[in-house]
Amino acid sequence: MRTALFLLAALAAPAQAFAANQVALDNSVFVERVSTDAAGKERVLLEEPKVVVPGDRLVFVLNYHNSGNQPADKFVITNPLPSAVRFADAGDAQPIVSVDGGHAWGALADLTVLQPDGTRRPAQASDVTHIRWAFQKPIPVGGSGKLMFRGIVK
Amino acid sequence: MTKLTTMGALGLAVACGTATPALAAGTTAGSSITNTATVDFQVGGVSQTQQSASDTFVVDRKIALVVEEVGTVTTDVVPGQTNAVTTFQVRNDSNETLDFLLAATQIAGGTAAHGGTDSFNASNLRIYRDNPSTGTVGSYDAGDALATYIDELAADTTARIFVVADIPGGLANNAVAGVQLRATAREGGTASTQGAAITQTTGANTAGKDTVFADAAGVNDGARDGAHSAADDYTVKTATLTVTKTSRVISDPLNNTTNPKLIPGATVEYCIAVANSGSVAATSVAISDSVPTQLTFNSGTIVLNGTVTGSTCNADGAAGGGYSAPVVSGTIASVAAGDTRTLVFRATVN
Repeated sequence: MRTALFLLAALAAPAQAFAANQVALDNSVFVERVSTDAAGKERVLLEEPKVVVPGDRLVFVLNYHNSGNQPADKFVITNPLPSAVRFADAGDAQPIVSVDGGHAWGALADLTVLQPDGTRRPAQASDVTHIRWAFQKPIPVGGSGKLMFRGIVK
Repeated sequence: MTKLTTMGALGLAVACGTATPALAAGTTAGSSITNTATVDFQVGGVSQTQQSASDTFVVDRKIALVVEEVGTVTTDVVPGQTNAVTTFQVRNDSNETLDFLLAATQIAGGTAAHGGTDSFNASNLRIYRDNPSTGTVGSYDAGDALATYIDELAADTTARIFVVADIPGGLANNAVAGVQLRATAREGGTASTQGAAITQTTGANTAGKDTVFADAAGVNDGARDGAHSAADDYTVKTATLTVTKTSRVISDPLNNTTNPKLIPGATVEYCIAVANSGSVAATSVAISDSVPTQLTFNSGTIVLNGTVTGSTCNADGAAGGGYSAPVVSGTIASVAAGDTRTLVFRATVN
């Protein structure tokens, strides 16, 4: 009987070793193409990035899933923008962005860029270097979601 | 509507994201774009190992180029002129350094680049590439090399090209010859060697660098064919001379200068008028005229370079010319476009 209690106690302890696979993150890229169908209506298609040339519009999709058995707290996803992609917009999730390589963060409308002559000007979408989504609430067990942002191939 | 695939990019870790410089023509073809997202989180107040996921794809080659005439006007030429130049430029708007095969042709009839009607062909059509460092940069000179293709033109760079030809003689004023220059993209990569032809990647994508044609239609090529072309023309500007000879009685021995008649002993004034209805001055206009046998030339009466008013030869020329029986001759230095100049002399009826 005592042996059984010890085993149970051992099993009940938090299993740190499992945490490495607790959150699954998936990163996909699609090319956004606008086509006009026979009726003259525009349809937006998301295609695999098979043939991508400068000027193409890209949609980056990040899927996250808490596949562990504990809620994930202070959940932050950071995405540095590839150097060959110019930031366009980030959908509804309202991420914060950085225009100085990841040092200062904030909403794009609140950020400024230091110019060579020492003055600062309002930051524009093309200045963005990093994007970050910081979740206020923990991701519950089994919780998942999708984040997206758009860019243009330079 | 987002169509998600279960690409599961976690396994697609790529060696490194590239840091290619941003060009106006775009990211260099063949570059990989890698997007990496990282996740930081805590469990039970304890920070967990950061996780990340990446996705990579390759930027393909976009072939785009523009050939255009430099300037907006025709090239004025004179009949018999050699090495008449029309100037073009070729700009590589692709995202890769390429060779460009060049072809210069002439149109056969029809409307030329600046509105005239093509009516002759120049001869000895050649293509030269402007040397960007020696000679007069931007103008055709001895330092420019004969070219059949442009070698290794970098993305976002322009090459100036001269199409040079010889103009035949005997052409009328305002005759036009239309010329066209077409450039076709070829593989780059090996200097001083014309690259192979490029075909667009059709059908399924490859894992490597594919090619998309993004050029517009030129004057003698179609849209999205890897080529572009432009037109220019030569316009002949020459003098067109018309000669008229008139005469009037100045005086006779009996009536003198009052209503003189053409009787033996009367003085007749001849006026040879040269009219230039062309576009440029005629120079060194040599006039010669044989005095009819029924008259005797009055020496010292040759007057050159006078003007006309209507059909009347004015007496405003200067002494000149010469007489070597029976020919009266004289040279007018210049008859301007639209002007008329005269050689005037007197003779007496035998």
